[in-house]
Order: sequence, then structure tokens, then C-alpha cells
Amino acid sequence: MDLILVNLIDGLVTGLLLFMLSAGLTLIFSMMGVLNFAHASFYMLGAYFAYQISLALGFWLGLLIAPLIVGVIGAGVERYGLRRVHQYGHVPELIFTFGLALLIEELVQFIWGKNQMPYNVPDVLNFTAFSISGNSIPAFKVFMIFVSVGIFLGLLFVLTKTRVGMIIQAALSYPRTVEALGHNVPLIFMGVFGVGTALAGVAGVIAGPVLGTFPGMAFVLGSIVFVTIVIGGLGSLWGALVASLLIGWITTFAKSYNIEMEGILNAIGIATPENLSDNPLRDFWALTSPQIADILPYILMVLILIFRPQGLFGKRES
Amino acid sequence: MSVPALELNGLKKNFGKAEIIRGIDLSIGKAERHAIIGPNGAGKSTLFNLITARFPPSAGTVKLHGEDLTGLQPFEINRRGLSRSFQITNIFPKMTVFENVRCALLWAQGYKYSFWNFVNRSRKLTEGTEAILEQINLANRRDLPAGTLSYAEQRALEIGITIAGGANVIMLDEPTAGMSHSETDYITDLILKVTEGKTLIMVEHDMGVVFGLADRISVLVYGEIIATGAPEAVRADPKVQEAYLGAALEAEH
Amino acid sequence: MIDPVTDVKGARPDEQITTNPADASQRMRMQTPMIAVAPWVIAILVLLFLPLVFTNNSALTIMNQMSITIIFALAYNMLLGQAGMLSFGHAVYAGVGGFACMHIMNMTDFFASIPLVILPIFGGLFGMGLAMIVGSFSTRSAGTVFAMISLGVGELIAASSVIIVAFFGGEEGVSGDRTYAQPFFGVEFLQQIEVYYLTAAWVIVSALLMFLWSRTPVGRMANAVRDNPERAEFLGYSSRWVRFYSFVASGFFAGIAGGLFAINYEILTEENLNTTSSGVILLVTFLGGVGFFFGPIIGAVVFTLVQTVLSLQTELWAFYAGSLFLATVMFFPGGLAGLLMMHVPVFKLGKAGHLVMPYIKTLIPAAIGVLGLAALVEMTFHYRHAATGDNEMTVFWTTFDSHTLLPWLIAGAITIIGLGIARATAPDLKEAWNEANTAGGGA
Repeated sequence: MDLILVNLIDGLVTGLLLFMLSAGLTLIFSMMGVLNFAHASFYMLGAYFAYQISLALGFWLGLLIAPLIVGVIGAGVERYGLRRVHQYGHVPELIFTFGLALLIEELVQFIWGKNQMPYNVPDVLNFTAFSISGNSIPAFKVFMIFVSVGIFLGLLFVLTKTRVGMIIQAALSYPRTVEALGHNVPLIFMGVFGVGTALAGVAGVIAGPVLGTFPGMAFVLGSIVFVTIVIGGLGSLWGALVASLLIGWITTFAKSYNIEMEGILNAIGIATPENLSDNPLRDFWALTSPQIADILPYILMVLILIFRPQGLFGKRES
Repeated sequence: MSVPALELNGLKKNFGKAEIIRGIDLSIGKAERHAIIGPNGAGKSTLFNLITARFPPSAGTVKLHGEDLTGLQPFEINRRGLSRSFQITNIFPKMTVFENVRCALLWAQGYKYSFWNFVNRSRKLTEGTEAILEQINLANRRDLPAGTLSYAEQRALEIGITIAGGANVIMLDEPTAGMSHSETDYITDLILKVTEGKTLIMVEHDMGVVFGLADRISVLVYGEIIATGAPEAVRADPKVQEAYLGAALEAEH
Repeated sequence: MIDPVTDVKGARPDEQITTNPADASQRMRMQTPMIAVAPWVIAILVLLFLPLVFTNNSALTIMNQMSITIIFALAYNMLLGQAGMLSFGHAVYAGVGGFACMHIMNMTDFFASIPLVILPIFGGLFGMGLAMIVGSFSTRSAGTVFAMISLGVGELIAASSVIIVAFFGGEEGVSGDRTYAQPFFGVEFLQQIEVYYLTAAWVIVSALLMFLWSRTPVGRMANAVRDNPERAEFLGYSSRWVRFYSFVASGFFAGIAGGLFAINYEILTEENLNTTSSGVILLVTFLGGVGFFFGPIIGAVVFTLVQTVLSLQTELWAFYAGSLFLATVMFFPGGLAGLLMMHVPVFKLGKAGHLVMPYIKTLIPAAIGVLGLAALVEMTFHYRHAATGDNEMTVFWTTFDSHTLLPWLIAGAITIIGLGIARATAPDLKEAWNEANTAGGGA
């Protein structure tokens, strides 16, 4: 029971982190129809910038400044890159963001090298917040939860209660009409792209010390983020939230409970074949849940796409 | 009477709470030229989209030569001999005019998903395509990308693609929309020529075209057909006068 | 810079990317068979005589690599260029085909009974089989959804390679020995040159088959579905099935490429499946140009050369390749083939000569400027990452101390002057270009 609670908290942290990325990605997608392949690269930039800033000015200023820089870079990418490619259609846009992701990774290696950066949890948060029957929950995790929830609430407030939010929501569905009403839609696009990438930057700043700040970090998380928004339903913010939490919990639980495929198969009435070591399916029989924890999201995605192609909360098929 | 080419029974469509099509019964005979007219927003294009399964109907059935089309995909309906054009020009803009028409002929000539025939080896395919190009007067444009044609030429190509497959029920959605007088005459003649002996159902705004072409006319107002009949009878119908023609005719004068 | 979007007369921006072989095929149709066959004869002759020019084994290895990439890139373009489907996980089909071939190599009795030359067919069949399974649900739609599924499935299979050890061999992969096959007219494929001719033969056969595919009804409809899936549906074709067939065919040829990889390297690992490999083939294809059938061939040749030459010279080659790729997407969405074909009207008008001087005036300074920029990049990299005390570096055969000011000034000056001249002469080039594309006498 206590272990379940610990896992719930760990899964929540992972899920909320995913959500910070998938929220921005979803906003950008539903507004511009572009799936930003480089989204996780902005997350990585957030972590690296925050590390560099924290060396000089400390963690807290890093948390403040790094996302701003990332957002400005993101807006620049939209303004000078994406907008240009937009005229060629969606596929080249997707290819563009893919190329951007490659380039950012190379750029990060160019500047900071291939090794992991010593970007650590700040001393003020480096203590145990509380413990559940021997399992200590670090304060930084609690802090991560607060930051993500805070950002989520802020986003919700801006989108539903403010004038800017109204215009954005309207521009999501009817960009032409909104433009005709005299709003600067390209500027809104740029702003949304900037904010979306800045959100990814925040995620990077707070995830960097825990998950590690290294050139592969974008790639590790990036494809999971795509999977998340596909599962949730492309363009659905609620879907992104649900799918993020779902994936966070599924992977955490799969890692901490050692469920064996043999056990499952025996339980549903399939007997273990004799001479298992010679059986061509031996690897399948020997699977354990921690082994496949990292590919569970992909399996989930494939299943969702087969049985509910529009995703959990998606309205349309495409 | 023989089986009608197209028969609609109690066809309805709601978008959310809005009823766009409120129960349409209509029977169109073989080789009939039938025009559907009505004010803007009456649901004419929606009706077309329901018949061709672009949208699923909320209720009711569509029968083509007596066969129920419910649940069929657009391509399956097309294979049963119903072909349509679109209000907004819907061609393959990056392919040549020739290619556009040839694509429309492939299924009709039985090539299906073949990967063992070569399209440019088939004399029948090439000649069929060229015959259609002659019919729509685009033979001299054959190697141009379709997207570079003039608007009227693109409309003609759209009609060519629609009839190329040899379907016997042809549906044209506002074939003369946005055209000048001379272009309209040209397209009208073209339609007369290419739908010879076929069932034609068209949505049209231009009353000149409608009365020149149609054997029968249906008037669609707010999702319901208020009158169906020969052009003269419809023109004389007081309900039609009131709902539509009166205003339209007045505006024209 | 030449801007294809505004400079190609009468072409709309989006045409650059998806111009299809359609009109080429039209022209081809009217030409005599001689001319249609000519490129293939030339290709065969070139492949036949290349080893006489480049005789050493490392050159043969590079050429084999090139051939494999050509097949893979052409297969990839059956999706991207011809059917408009963007896949982020296509390496999986080549990889699985390759792994299957490795396992066949290790089935001693069976392998001894077949000649090595037909082994790639098995790779193709396995790639095709996998494509049929995945395609059954992934081809429902094109565009973003297809791209995402391809990525997810790619990741899934790449990740399972370390789990399903029996098939993928875990971390060390699967290896075998090609020489255990039945000798083919006495050839045992012990030597690199024999493998070269085997690979070359497969390039010709595969490329020809893929070219012919684009002429079949389903190949033509792939173009139609790419441009306007809805209209295709109203012509009696299911867009989904057209995509499915394209996908399966592409999986087959990708599997052939995988089989040839197996023959050449006699080992396959997780690297053959992962997203990096999938990304590379996208890069190669796009760089070459998706709009023309031969685009991916150019892409494969150029990329393999750049990769082998640059990676020997600098650690940063992936950075340069990425920059080149991004620049292509942004400024030349037609790729190298698009750039070449832009010049066809100029040649037809007989005005190519008018472009020579403007090109020299702009492109040579631009190239010098770019090299200067590369030098700056290399110096920055060395300055940041070289071991302390190791201040010596060599760029462009010049050795100097990267911690002194002078080299920086020189490289900076070269960059600024080079790019500056290019910028100043660009308007003249643009004017010359427009002039060369205008029919009639002109000045």
C-alpha cells in the first residue's frame, strides 16, 4: 500500500513533466496544424541554459531566465523558419522541425560537449520532504509537482478567463475570421509558439537536475511526448493531461513491480512450454515488466491507433 | 415505371441541433436532367454530400438504381456508377490535364490497383483520355499542370473528370459558379453534350442554365423540398414564387 | 541567394516539392524508346566500369554503401515523394529485412542450397510482410497521423531489439558469413569486387522496378491520392488502399536494401533499426529531391560522399549535414534534383551561357565565405573542447594556435568578405536568372 503511494507520487511527477511538454505541443498543433518535432529540443535547451545561468546566478534565476530565452528562440524559429516553410505545406513543416531537432542536438554537443552536465538540485531543495514507511520523497519532487500544477492552472486561467485566451481559442478554430476581426494572427501564432516552447523550457529547467542534462535528453523524452499527444488525441489539451498522467503512472508501476510474462500467461491458462531455452519464443516468455516499461507507451499508442484512431479525447480522425 | 436512377427516402441531416436537411423524398428517373435550386443556405450542397457519402445522413436512405447506399464509402458509390463534381474546384492541380483525366478512367477501365500494367502502354486508356479531352475542348492543354489552367478551363476539367469514368448518374455542384456569361454558355453546352443519355442532377444558381437544361426542377428551402416538377410548373407554383423565385427574379430585373 | 519560389517562372511555391514524374512520363511517352532507355544503359555502363577507376577496397566499400543507400532512398521516396507519406521509422523495414537475411545466412543447410544473389529477395519479403502488418492500420490517413504512427512503430521495434534477443541478437546484433551460400557460377563472394557487382546488379533491378511501378495504375493513383485524396475517392479509388499498396511496395524495396546490407557487412545491429537511421534516409531523400524519380539517387551519392569525406576531416560533420538539410528545407524544397531541373528551361531557351559569369561571381565568393564560416566554427569548437595546453589545430591544411587572435581575424575577414561579395552580386544573378528564363531575344 505504501509502495503504491510512493509510485503514485513518482508517476505523478513524470506525468506532470510530460504534460508540460505535451501541453505546449498540443497548443501549437491545434493552432498551426504543425507537430513540432523539435519540441523536446527546446526542453533540452531549457535545461542547458538553466545550467549555464545557475553557474553564475544560481538556480532560481535560471528557472526564471532560461524559459524566457527558450521562448524567444522558439518565437524566432516560428518567425524566420516555420513561417517560411509553411507555404510548402504540412509535410515540409514536419521535416523542418525534424531537421531543427537534429541541428539543436548537434549544436548542444558543439557548445557543451557530449558529457552530462553537473546540473544539480539546488541546496535549498536538497532535503527529504517526508517519507512513507522508509521511502523518502525528496523535496525537489514536491517542488516539481507544485511548479507543474501552478503552470497548468495559470494556463487554464489565461486560456479561459482572459481576453488573450479568448482570441487564442477563437484563432484555434477560425483563424481567418479572427484575422478578419482585425487581430494579428501571425503574431498570435508566434506568441503561442514562443509560449509553448517556453513551457518546454520550464520543464527542462526542473527536469534537468533529476533526469540528467545531456545531449540525448531531448530524444529520450521527445518521442514519448509525441506518443502522449497521439494517445490523448491530437489537439486536445485534456487528452494531453490524461495521457501524460496515464503514461507517467504506467511506466512507473511497470518499473517497480516485477511482473513476469510467464506469470501472466500461466494465469490466463497457457502452460509454460517444456524446454523453454530452446523455444523460439523464449524471449517473449521471459519478458518482465521493468524490461518493457519504456516501450509500454508505444504499445499503448499502437493499440489506441488501431481501436480508437482519434485518440482518447480526439474528435476527428485526422 | 422502372426503377428510378436515384431515390431519396426521408433523408435528414443534423449538425448538432441544427437541422440542415429535414426529410427529403425525391425520385429521379433514368436519363432525367434534374436541377435542384434554392436560396443560399437551403442545404443544396449538404444534400449532394449526403447522397455521395461525403457526410453520413442522420436518417433516411439513398438508393441508386434501387440499391441502398447506406454505409458505403464514396469510392464504393462511385464504382456503382454515380459520379460527382464539386462546388469548389477539386482537381489534381499538380498533375497534367491529361493525367487528371486518365486517373478518372483507370477504375472504369478495370485497372483497379494493378501494378503489372503500364498506363502509357494502354492504347485504350490513352485514346479514352484523348476522347474526353476533345469533348471538354482541352486537348491543346493536355500537358499543362492542371493548376495553371484558367478558372473556366478548370471547371471544364472538373466536369471532364466527373464524366470520364462513364458513370450513368452525374451530379454537378454549381458547375457555372463564378463564371462570366460567355463562360456560362460554354459550360452549359458542354454539360448538354457530355451528359447525353445520362441521369444528371445539378445544383445551380443561374436560372438561365437551370431552365435551359433541366427536365424537372426541385426547389429546396430550409432543408425541405417545397416543389418538384417541370420547369414551367415550378415557375408558376405560388409557393416557389413566394419563397424564392419571386425574390430572385425581381433581383434579376 | 537564388530563391526558387519566386524565380521559377509560372511555378507555384508548392510545386517545388511535389512536382511528379507525371509530365516527364508524358514526354517520355512521345519520345522514342531509345531515349527512354538511355539513362538506364548509361547507369549500367557506369556501374560496370567504376571499379576499373576506383580499384581499392575502401572505394568499393563506399560504392556499395552508396548503392544500398540508393535503393533505400528510392524506396523511401515511393512513400514521401510519390504518395505524400512522411515516415519517421522506415529504417525498421530495411532492418527487419536485413535481420531476416542474417538468420537465413545462419540456417546452414538452407543457405547452402540457395545462391547468394537471391538472398535480398527474402529481405524484401520480410520487409514487405512487416509493412503489410503495420500498413493495415497506419495507412488510414496520410500526413501527421501517419508520420506519428511510423515514429511510434519504429521506436517500438527498435526498442524491442534489445528485448527480443532471439531475432535481433540483443546488443551485439546478429552476424553471419555470406560465403556459405551455394556458389553462383563458381563465384563465392569472398572478394569485395564480387560483392560490388552483386550490389550493383540489384541497384539496377530495384531502381528499374521502382521506376516502372510509378507507371502502373496504382503508382499513378499514388500521385493522385497525394495531391487530393478526396477527389481520388470520388474516382472509385480508396485512398487508404492506394496508400497501403505504396507502403507495402516501399517496404519490399527497403527490405531489399536491408538484405544487401546484410550481404555487405555480414552483421546487423540495433543501429540498423533506430530512429537515427530513419532520420538519415529522410535527410538523404529530401536533400536529393523528392519531386523527381532520380532525386534520391543524387541524394544518396552526395550524402555518402559527404559523410565519408567530411567525417574523416571533422568531428562536426553531423552538424554541417544538419545545417545543409535545414537550409535545403527552407530555401530549396525541391532538393538537388529540383535545383538541377530548374535549369532545364534555361537550356531549352539556349541561354545557359548567360548564367555562367553571374554564377561565378556569386557562388565562388559565397563558397569561400561558407568555408570561412566553417573555419570559425571549427576554431570555436577547438577553443572550447580541446584538452588544456593543446592549442595547435589544423584547418584547411593550415596549422596554427587557436588561442591567438590572428587566425580568428583572418577567418572572420574571409567570411565577411566572401559572404559580402556574394550578397552584393546576388541581385545581378537574380536578374540574369530572370533574363535567362525569358523567351525571346533579350539583351
